[in-house]
Amino acid sequence: MIILKKIFLFLKRESKLFYSNIVDLFSNILFFFLSVFVFIFALGADEQLLKSIGVGIIWSLLLLSSTLSLRKFYEDDFKNGVLMIIHMGGMSYELIVILKIFSHFLFVQIPFLVSLPIVGIFFNLPINEVYNLVLTFFIGSLILSCLISISASMNLLNKTNFSIGSIIVLLFSIPLIIFSVGINSADIHFNSLINLLIGIALIFLGIAPWSSAACIRLALKNK
Amino acid sequence: MLLINNLSFFRNDIKIFENLNLSLANNQIIQIKGTNGSGKTTFLEVLLNILEPKSGEIFWKGKNIKKNIFDFYNQTTFIMDQNTSTRKLTVLDNINFWRGLSSSKLSNDEVFILLKTLKIEKYYDTKVMYLSSGETKKLELLRLILEQKKLWILDEPYNHLDDVSIEILNQTFIDHINNNGMIIFVSHFNPTISNLEILDFN
Repeated sequence: MIILKKIFLFLKRESKLFYSNIVDLFSNILFFFLSVFVFIFALGADEQLLKSIGVGIIWSLLLLSSTLSLRKFYEDDFKNGVLMIIHMGGMSYELIVILKIFSHFLFVQIPFLVSLPIVGIFFNLPINEVYNLVLTFFIGSLILSCLISISASMNLLNKTNFSIGSIIVLLFSIPLIIFSVGINSADIHFNSLINLLIGIALIFLGIAPWSSAACIRLALKNK
Repeated sequence: MLLINNLSFFRNDIKIFENLNLSLANNQIIQIKGTNGSGKTTFLEVLLNILEPKSGEIFWKGKNIKKNIFDFYNQTTFIMDQNTSTRKLTVLDNINFWRGLSSSKLSNDEVFILLKTLKIEKYYDTKVMYLSSGETKKLELLRLILEQKKLWILDEPYNHLDDVSIEILNQTFIDHINNNGMIIFVSHFNPTISNLEILDFN
């Protein structure tokens, strides 16, 4: 019972932090929309061309936009010692990581999910492709949150090299993008590709808490 | 009762401290002193199981803390030299978070009286980022009372404090040790507390 109260408390704090940092989220979404517009203007007004490459472009830009908020994932709580205080309050680092991933999914990825149908209109995507895009992003954003958590915890002590975190996320999201974009051109294999995506998400949900917690412990030791 | 037995710690094969023995019973307060870099903060981190000692054991109530780490944490308040308050949240949000985390039974009125004693009651709805460093430190020290734990471990608690606040902190320490509490703190300051024991790291 007590641990449930503490989990609720943690999520309440995350939601308050989210509201105080809401400008960050808006600027990330603005970055996403503007980069979509840049692509559209660069490619010209060829409807067929936009339709055929739309999903691929949207996915690549989603990846790039979600790596923008990467450094903030643990940094503030790590620097001022809140992670340690929460741990001393009776939560293991693994549980903290799971809750962080969940709140990142809820407060950062869901707004992106909502904006996807709007972006679909700009690329003149057929409605079934928009459905597929939303479905694959729903599963894919979980994978992305896990990857961002791993990458952010690995870079807690890294003060100089800002791009290495994004490199890790982009490298490991290659399978995600292959299966997510491939789902539109493979009508017969729809179910198997969705199962593959869910499989990848489950693997990362299994790996991310342990590896991130190990990285956080290591970072606390070498602070 | 806290018992430290033959504790040694090496960082990159450089000796920080070796064969340290210490026991801390109820109603006891120990100040750790030493020059800069003598390993005072490192000792606290080893004590709290953040760093791994090279040899030696730490016992809390007769049990090795490694096996019962959450039992130990459950009765410990650790005040670090940095401020653990979240800068983007209000003072009251921070207090409520700490209270929930330690399942504190302090009521809102009692918290308000505490804030009034420390003269930060007018900031209760202000974000911590707008407070001065002394006020932030006072807010941090409020955790000692909020969490209602038995063992207090503090790293440089006297930094940034004015004379009145130092007096309040000393009185808080005396009240806590008279109330069967235990305190270990690291400081260069010489506070006026009777039965203060000093452990020199030089």
